[in-house]
Amino acid sequence: MAEVPLPEPFQSLEPFRDWALATERERRAKRLSSSMEEIQAFYDALFPQLEAVVAYLDRFPLDQLPEEAQPLYHLTLSLVEVTSAVELYHHPHIFEAIEPARFRRVE
Amino acid sequence: MQTATENRRWSKEYPELGTGPVPAESCISPEYFELERERVFRRTWLNVGRVDDIPNAGDFFVRELAVCKTSILVIRGKDGVIRGFHNVCSHRSNKLVWEERGTCRGALACHFHSWGYNAQGQLTGVPDEENFHDIDKSKLGLTPVTTDIWEGFIFVHLGAQPQETLTDYLGGVAEQFKGAAFHKRTRTHTYKVEENANWKVALDAQNEAYHLPFQHRYSFPGMFVLKDNRYLRLSGVKLYNHHAVWSTTYNSESTPTPTGALMNQLNTATTNSRLPMLGDFDFFVIFPNFVILQFRGIEDDYYMTYNFWPLAVDRCIWEIKFHFPPAETAGQRLSQEYLKHRICDVLQEDAVAHETLQAGLTSRAKTHLILQDDEIQIRQFHKVLEDYMGFFNGRGH
Ligand code: FES
Ligand SMILES: [Fe+2]
Repeated sequence: MAEVPLPEPFQSLEPFRDWALATERERRAKRLSSSMEEIQAFYDALFPQLEAVVAYLDRFPLDQLPEEAQPLYHLTLSLVEVTSAVELYHHPHIFEAIEPARFRRVE
Repeated sequence: MQTATENRRWSKEYPELGTGPVPAESCISPEYFELERERVFRRTWLNVGRVDDIPNAGDFFVRELAVCKTSILVIRGKDGVIRGFHNVCSHRSNKLVWEERGTCRGALACHFHSWGYNAQGQLTGVPDEENFHDIDKSKLGLTPVTTDIWEGFIFVHLGAQPQETLTDYLGGVAEQFKGAAFHKRTRTHTYKVEENANWKVALDAQNEAYHLPFQHRYSFPGMFVLKDNRYLRLSGVKLYNHHAVWSTTYNSESTPTPTGALMNQLNTATTNSRLPMLGDFDFFVIFPNFVILQFRGIEDDYYMTYNFWPLAVDRCIWEIKFHFPPAETAGQRLSQEYLKHRICDVLQEDAVAHETLQAGLTSRAKTHLILQDDEIQIRQFHKVLEDYMGFFNGRGH
């Protein structure tokens, strides 16, 4: 399946396309399997544009996001997934936490 | 703030609870756990879900109540009424429904010989019925479980005859939440953690704010240390007949992280109906195993629930649900995902403590828990528990 390119103003995020993941489980796995350098690079690319990205997404109702906006939305969700790693822990993991797989998202 | 400076305030308000240590045996004794099944979990109202979980006729969910050695089917009938049943076939007692949730279209059929039941629990079909000896289908419906609803929360009671109605059982808590617009908030995330901990060890560990600045020093660094309230003393405690609430106020001095600051601006989803809160954060323990957590939000309030389900003396399931005002835009949803994410980090730290606490208790190095004044709600919980159990003062010990 050919990927829809990211909307024009945000094409600089194309190299981070592998962070555009639809489920929390995938996003969490991506954080946990990435190095801090990779996480930081993703954060540094997206965070300065986050307000603009959200402003773009918020032109649509959440349940009617056009196809080309979906990966962008998923990127913002991944940013939330890594925010504590970057801003607080400086490490991909929480320090004193149970094994992530045991904290199961069921619905 | 007055709370922060006045020492041992709550024990003055509730002197009948005393100030002594609390026995730890209740969290490690297999004998105690066996008695708890009957004396606590068959004598109290248990929250099993919300009406929003089954909005349409025929919708159902199944709850495995290991502590009561039964499985419960909660289903909305064609008449719109929500009923609870033992999830057990009338023929030879096979477990009827195997899915965790679903919708009954027509009939629920038993996997063994396909006896069929409708959404009202009535037996509607028996294959080769003529070969049975005088069976009356109208008398062979599913076995009902006493079920009632309070502010959209579904409760069951597994005792033969509940001593109190649900409203009486909830007492002042029912008053406090009268008309609360829980139904306007949507369940967005549900998590389950199976823990190597007694259900009360897990609950007690959540049931105080004393640990927040210390145990959560990584996930919320500095956040809970206030200039005029270094130890995050509680802003309110209210003890009810069986239940309790404690509250804290937010730290207005704390600076949000860069993402946090932006998320605060995006957090605009609202139901236009604030929750009836006592502080900025309220922790209601509804005895025995249900918790409602209310959070003061910027534009609107949100809430979470916990259910602690015992599996064995040293095992339980911690069930965690988030409910937010419906998000209409990506930005609103994102800000909720952010709150959820920050809270889940905290809870993953908590889960570690539940197990290290259990390990320590199991060693029997200590026989009692020492509680400070801001842990009075734990003291009250164990008092209510003992009132049901009569374990340390006589009855069947
Ligand atoms: S046990 Fe259910 S049909 Fe026989
Ligand atoms: Fe905690």
